[in-house]
Amino acid sequence: MSHPAIVIIGGGPAGMSAAVAAATQGLACTIVDEGFDLGGQIYRKPTNPARAPAPHPRGENLRAEIARLAQHISVRTGDSAWGIFDGLRIAVTSPDEHTELLQPQAVILAPGAHELVPPFPGWTLPGVMTPGAAQILIKTMGVAPGKRVLVAGTGPFLLAVACQLVDAGVHVVAVLEASSRPAWLSLPLHGFRTPEILAEGLAYLSKLDRAHVPVRYGRIVVTAQGETELNAVEHAPVDAEWFPDNNRIEIEQVDTLLVGYGFVPRVQLAQMAGCNLELRPDVGGWIPVRDRNLATSVGGIFAAGDGAGVAGSLVAAFEGQLAGMTAARFLGAIDEATFTAARYPVEQELARLKPLRRALDKISALQPGLMSLVRDDTLVCRCEEVTWREAREAVCAGSTTYRSLKMTSRAGMGACQGRFCWPFLSRLVAAEAKCSLADIGPPSARPPLGPITLGALASEPRDK
Amino acid sequence: MTSTADVVVIGGGAIGSSVAFALARRGASVTLLDASTPGRATSASAGGLWSLGESLGLGCGVILHTAQKGVGDGPAPLPRTFMDFLWASNLRFPSLAAELRTLCGIDIEAESATGLLYLVYDDEQERHASRIVEWAGSDHGQVERWTPQHVHNREPLITHDLRSAIHFPGDNQVNPMLLTEALKRGACAKGARFIAEARVRAFRCSNGRVVAVESDKGTIACGAVVNAAGAWGAQIARLASIEIPIQPVRGQIICTEALRPGTLRSNLSTRDCYILQKAHGEVIIGSTTEYCDFNTEVRYEDMCSLAAGAIRAVPALRNVTLKRAWAGLRPGTPDELPILGPAAELENFFHATGGFRTGIVAAPLTGEVVAASVLGQTPEFPIEPFLAHRFQFLTA
Repeated sequence: MSHPAIVIIGGGPAGMSAAVAAATQGLACTIVDEGFDLGGQIYRKPTNPARAPAPHPRGENLRAEIARLAQHISVRTGDSAWGIFDGLRIAVTSPDEHTELLQPQAVILAPGAHELVPPFPGWTLPGVMTPGAAQILIKTMGVAPGKRVLVAGTGPFLLAVACQLVDAGVHVVAVLEASSRPAWLSLPLHGFRTPEILAEGLAYLSKLDRAHVPVRYGRIVVTAQGETELNAVEHAPVDAEWFPDNNRIEIEQVDTLLVGYGFVPRVQLAQMAGCNLELRPDVGGWIPVRDRNLATSVGGIFAAGDGAGVAGSLVAAFEGQLAGMTAARFLGAIDEATFTAARYPVEQELARLKPLRRALDKISALQPGLMSLVRDDTLVCRCEEVTWREAREAVCAGSTTYRSLKMTSRAGMGACQGRFCWPFLSRLVAAEAKCSLADIGPPSARPPLGPITLGALASEPRDK
Repeated sequence: MTSTADVVVIGGGAIGSSVAFALARRGASVTLLDASTPGRATSASAGGLWSLGESLGLGCGVILHTAQKGVGDGPAPLPRTFMDFLWASNLRFPSLAAELRTLCGIDIEAESATGLLYLVYDDEQERHASRIVEWAGSDHGQVERWTPQHVHNREPLITHDLRSAIHFPGDNQVNPMLLTEALKRGACAKGARFIAEARVRAFRCSNGRVVAVESDKGTIACGAVVNAAGAWGAQIARLASIEIPIQPVRGQIICTEALRPGTLRSNLSTRDCYILQKAHGEVIIGSTTEYCDFNTEVRYEDMCSLAAGAIRAVPALRNVTLKRAWAGLRPGTPDELPILGPAAELENFFHATGGFRTGIVAAPLTGEVVAASVLGQTPEFPIEPFLAHRFQFLTA
């Protein structure tokens, strides 16, 4: 088998749309995704359809289009793309521990984002998980994450997950949204060009209302409590900067707490490929610098979707389409005029989605009050079990960069390479050391990005 | 912004930090400048203190492998004076560790009973190993030949497909990052000033002396300069119109998830790679030795061959998860010996670079002899074999 013209990392809305756009031009594409099936998180397909809810129609449509173009699209689900080497060589390991190098002429990065969970007392107790993790349980197997569930954090994703929990028969005690109600009420001003999204949001709210799930604005979880597992949560009202009023704490008895404060783009492959990054906290942190056509600073590498700046599944799909077309133009499959004509409606759609997205970003922007929850003995790096006391001592002794802090406190030295702890830890460090997030920089990205064994690495490379 | 220091040390790796510490301890006013350039050798060092293994050419399997392919006999061991130097430096670790722990509260994880085991796989290596053991003699403690049985008693996970092993009981390990951090903080505790992200741009010279160092973080008037810029040592020297033959030599290493400490008690070296378990449980497997200019990328093929080499030596590693791979640039010299002491071209310019594969084990004594040399004192180890002008014929 010859090498594909394009390798697409990630099979969510961005990756699938990119594959469709490029394959429509006759280009051979390979999609690599760690999941069991295409769809990513949002369009995840049930592994147990009898128990799980019906998958989203937009996802079904994209999967159908991929199937229709099967002649041009090779799908490698279950495989992990864990490194990109000198230019466009991508190391991929399959579940049977076989590793090979894909050597395409273009790469579209659509790896999506992961959830941001700021540390707070008790956040590592069993029973505390992310909304996305609960969603996987429900979507794939129809398994409820718990019996009495509290959902907390910020952003519309909380509402979507709460509704899925309700549908799955879970008792959702409440949804706590950190931002204020007036901020959310202003959304229609920004969303008049995207009434379908506003309608979706209202549908979530009315479903929760019918199920008697209160949505409480301007409240955050301050501690999770329990000896060996979660049994209670303390939450409190917050001011505009999310500083809690500890005199008005309420206690809720729950067995499950879902905490999500938005998403962090997965930029590690772009970073490893040498793409220039920029710091954009409004869309989740460090993202690859892209031009109008979604080309990164490295020739032949394009980036689309939440992995290049969190903007949701609709934006991701249009970006994927644009990136697919740009890659096709890069490979000479379409000419400039065709490209420009095809780009116009996509850009129109992206422009239409933008105002609401920006308003949402602003509402859900992380506020400094969250940092006040972290105590001396709170773990700030789960992989290496580093407490804030240990990390702060290292910062006070002069370790104010990722590299230096990692060396001295081991924070960020674990298997996640700082992907999960650093988005928030860097904020703590910046506040403590009075420096900027840009000065601190992103954690370095090293191969392998996912867990692979030495045996998988030493396997005889099959030439494909 | 202008400030003043008796001595400006350029380079905050293990060597520069050690020189700064030794100077500060002698009462000199020191400013340590670090450019934080990614890819320094200290960050990509496994922290093996293999004073004998390295000077006998058995510390870094890849070198022997290449040499055997080319020459058949393996590399000549490095000069005996260098072995003596590394040995003396190695002996300083226990007291240095204690001093640094007291001074700045950092445990540099200096181990005293690790030992280095060089695994002998075939007849050719067996002959080579015999010559090496004979040459080494017993000046520096006993170099032991171990039978496979002996190896398995100590390290049950090592392959049975083995002829023998050479055991260097005095060759142990340290955490190179913590060593460097502790030396730096120790220097600061003794009054030194550390400036991060300070790239040196120029030297101001007058009457054959450096009078000031110009950096991104200001100009520092000084009485002497120490070039401890590692792989970038030639570039720093060139700013003072001094030529030294330093070339970056890339070393790629891979690191596993943490295993139970004590899974591997000894440091291992083979013709393919070295393998050592650190205090936190990770196993580090290294390293390539290659000229690649200043490129610090990791190559897929090299990751694969390091993994294969490790599995050959310790088959159980096959099922262990890899955590990450990275690379650093060793400061290499044509004769593999460091460049230490005064430069002939400028009266008050000193070198402390060229540590190649042994910068960590050499750091304690390097700090001492360079500091003594800068302050006009007699170094406790003769510095002559390491002076830069041994290369004059190369650079003239």
